[in-house]
Amino acid sequence: MKQNGIGFYTTGLSFVAGVVALVFYMINARTDYFANLGVNPVVVGCTAAAILVQVLLLVLSKQEQPVWLDLAAVAAPVLLMVAFINLTGSRVSGIASIMTFENNAQTMADLSSAIVSMAALLIACVIGIVSSYFNIRKA
Amino acid sequence: MKNASAKRALWRGLTSTTASLLALTIAATPLVNGFRTDIDKFLGTQSQMIVTDAEEDPGSLYTYTSDYANTTELVQAIADLGERMSEEGTVLLKNNGALPLSQEETQKVSLLGFSSYYPVMGGDMGSSLSVNEGTDADTVNFVEALAAKGFAINPTLQSLYTSLEPMFKTEVNMWGNIIEYYNITTPGTSGYFTSKEPSQSAMNEAQAGWKDSLNEYNVMVVTLARSASENGTYLPGEAGVDPSQDLNQSDALGLSDDERDLVQAAIDAKQASGGKVIVLLNNASPMEVEELEANKGVDAILQIGLPGGYGFYGVADVLSGASNPSGHLSDTYAVDNSAAPSAQNFGNYPYTNADPAISANSVLVEAENIYIGYKYYETRYMDSVLGQGNASSTVGSSNGSAWSYDSEVTYPFGYGLSYTTFTQTLDSLNVDLNAGTVTAQVTVTNTGSVPGKDVVQLYTSLPYTDYDKQNGVEKAGVQLLDYAKTGELAPGASETVTITADAQYMASWDSSRDNMAGTKGTYILDAGTYYFTIGNGAHEAANNVLAAQGKTVADGMTAEGNAANVHTWELGELDDETFARSKNGTVVENQLEDMDLNYWMPGTATYMTRSDWEGTFPKTYEGLTATDEMMEYLDCDVYEISADNGDPDSVVFGADNGLTLADLKGVTDLEDPRWDALMDQITLEDCMIRTAFGGTSTKAIESIMSPEVIQNDGPNGISSYPLGQYANTDQQSGDPCAISADDPNANYKAGVMPSPVVIGQTFSKQLAREYGELMGNYSLWSNLTIYWGCGNNLHRSPYNARNHEYYSEDAMLTAYQGSAFVEGGKEYGLIIAPKHFAFNDIEINRTGISVFMTEQQARENELRGTQAIIEDAGALGIMTAYNRVGVTTSNAHTGLLQNILRGEWGFQGLATEDFIQDALYTSLKEAVMNGITMSCNTGDSTLEAVAEKFDYWTLENVSQDAQLMAALKQAMTWQYYAIANSNALDGMSSSSQLVSVRTWYDNVLTGATVAFGVLTVLSAVMYVRAAKKKEQ
Repeated sequence: MKQNGIGFYTTGLSFVAGVVALVFYMINARTDYFANLGVNPVVVGCTAAAILVQVLLLVLSKQEQPVWLDLAAVAAPVLLMVAFINLTGSRVSGIASIMTFENNAQTMADLSSAIVSMAALLIACVIGIVSSYFNIRKA
Repeated sequence: MKNASAKRALWRGLTSTTASLLALTIAATPLVNGFRTDIDKFLGTQSQMIVTDAEEDPGSLYTYTSDYANTTELVQAIADLGERMSEEGTVLLKNNGALPLSQEETQKVSLLGFSSYYPVMGGDMGSSLSVNEGTDADTVNFVEALAAKGFAINPTLQSLYTSLEPMFKTEVNMWGNIIEYYNITTPGTSGYFTSKEPSQSAMNEAQAGWKDSLNEYNVMVVTLARSASENGTYLPGEAGVDPSQDLNQSDALGLSDDERDLVQAAIDAKQASGGKVIVLLNNASPMEVEELEANKGVDAILQIGLPGGYGFYGVADVLSGASNPSGHLSDTYAVDNSAAPSAQNFGNYPYTNADPAISANSVLVEAENIYIGYKYYETRYMDSVLGQGNASSTVGSSNGSAWSYDSEVTYPFGYGLSYTTFTQTLDSLNVDLNAGTVTAQVTVTNTGSVPGKDVVQLYTSLPYTDYDKQNGVEKAGVQLLDYAKTGELAPGASETVTITADAQYMASWDSSRDNMAGTKGTYILDAGTYYFTIGNGAHEAANNVLAAQGKTVADGMTAEGNAANVHTWELGELDDETFARSKNGTVVENQLEDMDLNYWMPGTATYMTRSDWEGTFPKTYEGLTATDEMMEYLDCDVYEISADNGDPDSVVFGADNGLTLADLKGVTDLEDPRWDALMDQITLEDCMIRTAFGGTSTKAIESIMSPEVIQNDGPNGISSYPLGQYANTDQQSGDPCAISADDPNANYKAGVMPSPVVIGQTFSKQLAREYGELMGNYSLWSNLTIYWGCGNNLHRSPYNARNHEYYSEDAMLTAYQGSAFVEGGKEYGLIIAPKHFAFNDIEINRTGISVFMTEQQARENELRGTQAIIEDAGALGIMTAYNRVGVTTSNAHTGLLQNILRGEWGFQGLATEDFIQDALYTSLKEAVMNGITMSCNTGDSTLEAVAEKFDYWTLENVSQDAQLMAALKQAMTWQYYAIANSNALDGMSSSSQLVSVRTWYDNVLTGATVAFGVLTVLSAVMYVRAAKKKEQ
């Protein structure tokens, strides 16, 4: 543990946020209101890839980090950003409708998982960017 | 070493940052394209423009001209009309001589009730007030209007209510965006009404001596309000009242003890120091005010509706007598709304096998049959006098004793008082079935001492025969046939009003009758005596008819009728031919049999009949289970795209005929061969994209050179965009309605008019028409051409909180106010569309609710409220509803859309869905097959984006189905026919070209993409260098 740098903890946080985002996205994709939109492969693919990359970072990083792991540190927030934009794009019409014409307890409940997922993706992305400034292991 | 590592981390971090931002800009680009209209709306930008050859004569490019020289004149005309609407739409319900106020009395007004200071001026949502400040026609509330009209109000009370302001606040949390309301608000679709009126103790605590101030300011005006809202609902009885409040309130639309105490405080003050007590009802749904009517301490009651941004000027004029009220109620004011037959089925009644995945949620069985509003109260009253149909049974009585009119109705439909008195005589009445008219001549005389306008209401009473009883045909005791308003009559002056009513509206739908098509269902005129009369409301008309039938007070009438004002007409034999064809020659037949619950579940529903009020009074239909057969329609997947639907090559797309839409500007004949030639040019892709993504604006199509046409919501005025957002600011362009870039009214929004309830209460087709003309003018200046502005669902029940967007419980008042409005707008090229077609009778579960009723009920109530707007006014647009028609979505019901709307009524125009975002419930393929020209979804104008939302809507699929392609092309033809006959083509000619414009945000996005791309590369390079150094 003593060898872990700031990057280890921030990457861990980003990883957790990414997992939360993915779980809530899958929940949201099964809600009554959003189920008919199906599961967006870009959102799932990018988020899952980012999570996987972060697992590799956490597990494989050493004091002398290879360049390909640095690339992974860059790739993770990029993937999360792509997922975030795609998720937002697929939900914006629904959000507009629920916030106005279709506002009721059920639709608001359905919307909540989408909001959590989008927020978690954005947080994961931002923390992922921050992580890339720090090393996973102390030099 | 450490330094090299830090540098490597730094460049890695910067690479990550810039690469993520690059990903953001790249991924956002298609998103921006998909929501370009909405982004432009938000930012005030434009992404496309029409470029017309500069050599063209500007005079020939503009079909429509405004009546106003500039926007100042325009907005001031709006303010003027808003004031006049309220003057003529405010209804004087009670007056013991207290009104109008003298000049002296206007200087000592005490405004009581927090709604005097925080009135309901528009809906909480939907037709909300656009507050305009810093324009040439700023909106005003009640206090500001009174001040402007020279009234002086009690400062102590004003200060008291201001100090209590936090009490009135209602916060709606929209995901962190807190919307604050200080007026009384409407419950949501599952909430309660919560009274906000301060108690007497709260008022005493705030300002101990406030009652003393009433000695000096002893003209007490008490405002009692109930709000209105889209997506809001009052629930009948105590179920709709906040259980945490103990205010002896039996109904959300009834009074609370805090309101009673306030009125009593005013009465007490009057008794102590003289003065007057005047109650203003600030509401759209009828409140229960029998106790105020009966209370002798209340001197006068005015129903002011939701007056909008200028209506309080009119209310002030009515109070002072500067204007004489001439409004009449557009709804019945019942003693107990929850005792109405319609209230027995007004709520949330889920299917036992509800399936949210297909929006199959709940049912609404309108078992009251045709008997909504006065058609119930007056018919049952007449039957109680005539001693028929068990009308005097206790069933449906609000007090548990034998049903009696006086115990059930406070103010009847059509009722209204004036500061003067009038007499009306029905001079002549002629029924001409060949011409299809009923012509009445009525002389109106002002017998009072001040000038005023009066309303002539022509009612008919149809024979209710044994044939009807045997065949389930219902007849209202009286029904409004038509109406007219006089000009202002000086004391002693007379005016003879001629009403030429449409005789088809006294025909009744008989679902069991053989028709000319060899099927069932047609309009009939029964054999027997037809009564025609006039009256100050439906009840007076009913009494006149009863008097003509020899009845008197001794028979149980509430008052003697005037038989002299009744004319009769005899029909020897049942007539099933005169109205067997619609006006365009289409044979009518049953189209809505599947709206009857018994069609799917035989014997389940009992629809109320006047032949047995007691035995058929509606029960509540709940706990219904949709059958498998119903589920086949409830799943919204009815039409199968197939290669077996004809020869795909038979439908021409993409031809090069050299036409543009501007070539057909103003061509009203769809048989003109140029229409076919033009529409042959359109591509299948364009048809598919534009039907799928029709939301918020009708986008440009290059193949026929059609411009983007902006859509706007209503009905309280064009309110979606500020006047200047799409206005032409190039004053050298030749556009007579171009404005300067610094126009003082560029930020003006026109959501300022009184609610349609007030417009209905004017009973003035002229004012409704003026409103249409004014919005037409507004559209010329603002370049806003499509207006979802004619709310014409009926007030089936007072509990529908969305009633403020509709005119009345009566179909004819709705139809004719709507027709005049639509015609007025059309004169200036504005497409005013009626909505919501049809049966949007409740906001609970509106996306998916199954509405059931008989075909007679559908045709003679709700549909009759739209029919004239299509047949006579020639509306060029329409919006369907969220709800289902029976089990089929309203945007895909063939009987309703293809056979009645387009077939019988001859509708030729664009048809949009309501704001349905669910891909399945949009029912795109079914909707197109039924003449819908656009859904309300938005997205990038690509087939890929469309297919992402509607997976079956691919070129491969659609191009194999000739029937579907023909329907697509037909839909587009109707859509662009409407646009060609609107002001959207003003400024365009055959030479006009669509030009894409790069907005500033396009430039920012592109610039950011390039910048982040460069920075990413640079950061990566620096990272590599740092990494290499570290290695070294």
